[in-house]
Amino acid sequence: MKRVLAAVVALMAAAVVAGCGTGSAESIVDQDELVIAVRPDLPSVGFRRTDGTFEGFDVDVARYVAGKLGKPFTLVPVLAADRDKVLVDGRADMVVATYTISMDRKATVLFAGPYHISYQDILTRPDERIANVRDLAGRRICEVQGSNAVQRVVEERKVPARVVPFADYKACLAALKSEQVDAVTTNDVILAGLAMQDGSGLRLNNAQFNEQRSGIGLPKGDVPGCEAVNRAITDMYQDGTAEKLLHRWFGTSGLDLSTIAVPQFEGCS
Amino acid sequence: MTIVQTRPAPAPVRRSVPGRIRVISGVTAAALALLFAALAAGAWTVGDGLRVIGRDAGPQVVATAGLYLALSDMDAQVADALIMGDSYDRERQRAVDRYERRRSEANQALLKAFELSGDNPAERRTVQSVLDGLGRYERLAAQALLLDERSPHPPGRPPDDVVLLHRQATDLMRLVLLPQAYNLTLENGTIVRQTYDDKALTVPLLRGAVVLAGLLALGCLLVLQVYLARRFRRVLGPALLAATVATAVALLFGSNVLAQDEQALREAKTAGFDSVLTLARARAISNSMQGDQSRYLLDQARADTYEHMYLDKSLSVLYVEAGNLETYHAKVTGGSGEGFRGLLGPELVGRSGKAAMDAYRRFQAADMDFRARAADGQVREAVEARLRPVGEAFDAYDRSLVALSEQHENAFERAIGRGESTLDGLWRLLPSAIGVIGLLVVAGVWPRLKEYR
Repeated sequence: MKRVLAAVVALMAAAVVAGCGTGSAESIVDQDELVIAVRPDLPSVGFRRTDGTFEGFDVDVARYVAGKLGKPFTLVPVLAADRDKVLVDGRADMVVATYTISMDRKATVLFAGPYHISYQDILTRPDERIANVRDLAGRRICEVQGSNAVQRVVEERKVPARVVPFADYKACLAALKSEQVDAVTTNDVILAGLAMQDGSGLRLNNAQFNEQRSGIGLPKGDVPGCEAVNRAITDMYQDGTAEKLLHRWFGTSGLDLSTIAVPQFEGCS
Repeated sequence: MTIVQTRPAPAPVRRSVPGRIRVISGVTAAALALLFAALAAGAWTVGDGLRVIGRDAGPQVVATAGLYLALSDMDAQVADALIMGDSYDRERQRAVDRYERRRSEANQALLKAFELSGDNPAERRTVQSVLDGLGRYERLAAQALLLDERSPHPPGRPPDDVVLLHRQATDLMRLVLLPQAYNLTLENGTIVRQTYDDKALTVPLLRGAVVLAGLLALGCLLVLQVYLARRFRRVLGPALLAATVATAVALLFGSNVLAQDEQALREAKTAGFDSVLTLARARAISNSMQGDQSRYLLDQARADTYEHMYLDKSLSVLYVEAGNLETYHAKVTGGSGEGFRGLLGPELVGRSGKAAMDAYRRFQAADMDFRARAADGQVREAVEARLRPVGEAFDAYDRSLVALSEQHENAFERAIGRGESTLDGLWRLLPSAIGVIGLLVVAGVWPRLKEYR
């Protein structure tokens, strides 16, 4: 009889252990440490200093979220075109890189957040003011390869601006200052960071014409991870960290910070 | 035991018989205790799941979605009242009345949400923050309405100072208050998913434990009977036989109740809650879309921003690939309705689903017409379109979503109610089962032990 009882207890214990072991793909909440990908090329947003460390708004957000999850982390650089890839092939567990949430991207990655609401904006020379996207009609605007910001003006808004292509934002800013173009348009935090780095007083116009939701990219299917990150973002806005970080990085850039928008989450399923 | 030990030199055979009876009875009692403990644990676990999903998160979704709708409609009514100008006195009064009604609904929903947030500190902070913000919003909205009344203008864009005041009010509402209400709704989705996943893992384990402990107890009872029958040359012990049957019944009934409640939890989540949550989100986003229409007319400088927001929200409600609003209108109003993604994509099935799809299509068609007038500079006609055909198409669409949601709410309520009443039956029977089986075992064993006194 005792042997039977012992066998039964052993069997039940085995069932419990087996039950606990049946998890699907590992969630970031179960990992010991995280690899977080940030941009190396955007001043004040995600930027690699000469000593190899990273700084910027996105970097601080990544730090805060990892802290809330209670995980040590390492930062790795990621360029705009590789953000989906690093998540899919597992080189990063999380991407915090002004990663705009879109339906197409949702097919390959899961978005927590957004953690920040930004807008498309217009950067001009200090003496000029282009406060409305319609006023870009007939003006020369800079197009950076790989960015769809210009299409959103010319095709989505149907504003007949004259598009001048350049390799990157650095070349764009040089062209703006030497009057080869009249305006640069993209995400406002990117423009704010570039203008501050440039330091010659380029004007951010706060035209705010396309809302852009920057989300935190996670591997598709990690619903518990996404929910945990969303709770961390809620805390970040409730405890005032979000406002503090925005003022720290963009307080002097001319970016309108009078109302700090609370992000409306996408949902994790 | 003490009796056995104090006796000077009892015969080996006589000493071992009561000893064995005691050991077998003891193991039987332990197995029975295990069975009832597992049953109680299982019942407590599913009961907890039913309470969290059915009485906490479910009602909280309704309360917070109601909060969002009331807030969003307040803002939409203010925008409507401001674009009416001097040609719609009666309508303006109606919009202001509706604004007041929505304000009181929002207050009630906030109280309810606060009450239901229990000891969740993040939820409580959010409710408080919305409460604070709402006071500020009301002040700004009242100022804008008053200033607008004092500066008569034709339908369409009000004077600049009104636009600026409205801008402050609507920014506060759209950028700070509404997202918090929305996230509160979403948080309940998280609570339900976590609770459900947790229960879906532990309840089958506990049910397995019930079955194992029950089989063990039955085995012990059988061994006890066989032993007693051999030792005392009796064919049947009626009390022990009855205890065996009662244990078998308790085992079957108990594991069946747990299985049924597992099923009820699954149904409440997948056939009820998930869809209710999705439809609540879709209604919330859609409601702010109609606000974006009025704001598009009201604030010239931001017209493009509001139009883009309208497109963005349309895409999240029902997704087709479209780079601009024109393409979206064409695809939605002309398309077959097959293969749409977005929030409503998987929900628009069956007859009510098709009705909702048609209503959404009519709303978008009305929007197309409304924007064509606005783009042509026919402001008065655009205001008329916004207030009449577009507003009516929106109300019809919203009603179709409510009808769709009600089906799922009913399924949810039914599943939770069924689960709870089944569980109630188990809780009522459990104490008497413990008492009856215990007495029967004692009644079967005690007389035999007495023979050795």
